Amino acid sequence: MSAQESTFGPLGPERLAAGEARRLGQRERQDTLAQRNAGLAVGDAVRVRIRRFDREGADEIQTFEVPCRKWMRVLDALNWIADNAAHDLAYRWFCGSKMCGTCAVRMNGREVLACWEAVEPDMTIEPLRNLPVIRDLVVDRAPFDEKVAALEPWIERPVTYPGFPEPLSHKEMKNASKALDCIGCMCCYSACPVIGLGDLTDFAGPAPLVQLGQTALDPRNDPAKVARSLARTGIFNCVSCYKCEEVCPASIPIVSRVIEPLKARAHALVPAMARHPRALRTIVAGRGRVDPGALILRLQGFWALRNLSRVLRLLLRGKINPLKTLLQRTTPASGAARRVLGREEEP
Amino acid sequence: MRVIQADVAIVGGGAAGCYAAINLHRMGVRPVILCKGLVGKSGASIFAGNLVISGRALGNSEEHARNTAEFLIKYHNQFLIDQNWARRCGQWIESVYYPELEQAGLYLRRDEQGNVVTSPGKIRSVAANVQGNSGVPFMDLRRKQVIKAAIPRLEETAVTALLHRPDGSVCGVFGLDYIAGEYVAVLARAVILATGYSDRLHARSTGTREMSGDGLAIAWRAGAALVNLEMQWWHTNDMAAPPSWQRMQVYPNPMLGSEKSARMVNAAGEEFFNQQQDDPLAYGPYTVQLKALARQVHAGKARYEGGYFAGFDHCDPREVEAYTSYAKGFRQLGLRFPEDLAETAVTAHYRQGGIDVDTQTMRSSVPGLYAAGGLAGHSNGLIGLATYDGKVVADAVAADIRQGAAPDLPEAQVESERRRLESLRVARTGGVVPAAIKERVRALMWEKVGVEKDSAGLASALDDLAAIRLDLLPRMGLKRTAKAANYEWLDAIDVVNMLDACELVMRSSLEREESRGPFMRRDFPLQDNANWLAANVIEPSGNGFRFRRRPYELPFFRPDFDTRSNLEVPW
Repeated sequence: MSAQESTFGPLGPERLAAGEARRLGQRERQDTLAQRNAGLAVGDAVRVRIRRFDREGADEIQTFEVPCRKWMRVLDALNWIADNAAHDLAYRWFCGSKMCGTCAVRMNGREVLACWEAVEPDMTIEPLRNLPVIRDLVVDRAPFDEKVAALEPWIERPVTYPGFPEPLSHKEMKNASKALDCIGCMCCYSACPVIGLGDLTDFAGPAPLVQLGQTALDPRNDPAKVARSLARTGIFNCVSCYKCEEVCPASIPIVSRVIEPLKARAHALVPAMARHPRALRTIVAGRGRVDPGALILRLQGFWALRNLSRVLRLLLRGKINPLKTLLQRTTPASGAARRVLGREEEP
Repeated sequence: MRVIQADVAIVGGGAAGCYAAINLHRMGVRPVILCKGLVGKSGASIFAGNLVISGRALGNSEEHARNTAEFLIKYHNQFLIDQNWARRCGQWIESVYYPELEQAGLYLRRDEQGNVVTSPGKIRSVAANVQGNSGVPFMDLRRKQVIKAAIPRLEETAVTALLHRPDGSVCGVFGLDYIAGEYVAVLARAVILATGYSDRLHARSTGTREMSGDGLAIAWRAGAALVNLEMQWWHTNDMAAPPSWQRMQVYPNPMLGSEKSARMVNAAGEEFFNQQQDDPLAYGPYTVQLKALARQVHAGKARYEGGYFAGFDHCDPREVEAYTSYAKGFRQLGLRFPEDLAETAVTAHYRQGGIDVDTQTMRSSVPGLYAAGGLAGHSNGLIGLATYDGKVVADAVAADIRQGAAPDLPEAQVESERRRLESLRVARTGGVVPAAIKERVRALMWEKVGVEKDSAGLASALDDLAAIRLDLLPRMGLKRTAKAANYEWLDAIDVVNMLDACELVMRSSLEREESRGPFMRRDFPLQDNANWLAANVIEPSGNGFRFRRRPYELPFFRPDFDTRSNLEVPW
């Protein structure tokens, strides 16, 4: 360990092993970020490892030492490196103040907006995931743009515009207003594990859903138009892991205020999309418990038997219990479950 | 090289460029947008904090309407504005702008009961979703309107030259898609330059990364007359640190739903500016603030580079956060909100001047070339004004291009511009990297063409610039000559434009021998309405340039003195 590293503050690498950045972030959110900003003093060395890549075959990590400046952001460190050490470093930014949403990178394994996030004593900077890399930290935004455009995230009015200002309250716009804070930085798109599965699902991803939510959660939009858009989202592939919320630099409650309300809209407007959640809800409302056997029956019927080996495995591991499924149609919790969830139509 | 045919090439993807494109599309004309950044995501438009209410909209009284007009003409432009244009623009904003935006889906912030939230006072404003962040949803809406209309966008593409027909009229643009590393030519019957108000020519500038005076330099090289380039406007309370936040402002404007606004405090802890008390009419009080700061600097209680502070420590945080984004930056730095003030500094912001245009049509002095928004040098900036330019230019272009044949590719011009750009894509051992020259130029502009200037400093700045051209430019070289995503190459292209734009600014600053609003000459401290209530036009002449002075008409508002110390003038 070099002499410079020993001058790091209490958040230095001595206390924080590589890969623990996520824990660091959690600790700091409770501290309103003060600790992160206090982790380095002006003049300290910031060690920056950057993944250098080009399509001609280069792919390596280069290390730089950057003198810390007052309130230094990750972007300031990148700018210093480009001005002084690696003039050919490719990275995207325009506004430097959390508005354009183009400077997102991964820092120590966590998605950050470079202009918004404070430097850490020892940083590994990589491009966003889930998008093709063009060079160094520059990703191709086109696949994301195309996904957003395909969702047609705009308003179509079912009735004539009544004139300015139209009747509208913030209460009705509560969720859409949160989505309108989105700057399209794609941090969440990079962090999403379902998007990380690639073509295995047709999930649009968190950022495209937030972009859609801006108008799909707007009461002025035509429900038929919203239904058409939602039908293309694969929204029920979302596993509600909250990774997107965790990284969002605009602090949008992506799951609770955008994806969940959109799922509710899809549930109401495009029932066929919501077959699985509707079936589960019906089962829980009726039986007062989750019954995987009943869920399989409702979704696949006896066609499930085509995959006999899987059914046997589920039986052996006690995941399904056909006797219970067929005979125990209610439990003492049924009444309470029904009261909470209400009676649901058969899917 | 890609060659694209269109009716109109629009350079710039901000408020003016997007609105021009959308309107042309509605009229059945085929536009193409070329944007050095990303349409609706780069440039100054996303920085719009809120939208000023014009005319009698949203419960404005006749007095409000008059105040807004007076603010625009006096405080915002120091009378260097076509007042008839301002009147037309105000009427359009009142009757078309808000309804059209809202109809398209823009969310003007309501309260729980459904009232549109406004700032109180003599001039009122509204916000798109959140005050301080209105430009983001505003421009995101424009981006989506452009996508919905399937208007072609060439993004991250730097336009480097205009193309001409044999008769000299403009017939397209040449540029570089710097991500793909591919040249592109767009052939069009008309070209609209809409590259914005702010350029990153000073050490501290609100101009975003990609802005390097391209619009001015390209138009000048094509022979267009330019105007009022010296009329540089400044932010006085942008964050002093970190460097990347230099364009993040502690907004001095009236707050939505509150009687309060930010206050500014000098090094001695004395408050020296608070918009609500010190200048209730100057809604965007930037010039008034700058003059207040200049007095503090003269008294040794602040520096233009920092050493003074701004914030909301006199406010209830719930009041500030109800409708604004103002607390977020403070908190992100670990400051306590609202107790802590942030150190602030001056930043070069918009330029009032730009390409000299006919405000009825946005035609420049070169046939086929139009300008709109910030680059059209006829008013200082507000997003509504830039948008109105987009409408005016679209109407004029749609009418003008009915005549005339589709242009042919001017092969010789394309080849010569391609060679020029290739000559900038060279590696040079022991050479000077473009980033170093950019930094040199910005430092020079800050030092000698900053808030307060004089003829000796400007003359020496011109000498320094000439030295950079002679000594550094021939030695400029890159580390790597790759074509794709080579930002160093883009920097080299930018350097040439910056040098041209800076020289024009310096010469225009020398020419205006007075002080006016944010333009402060130490050697000419008086505002001189007898001689300088006039446009300062610079136009090409032979191999050089010449200046021409064109007085403004004053049909509605006029200053009530001939000469007075600029610092004593309240606007």
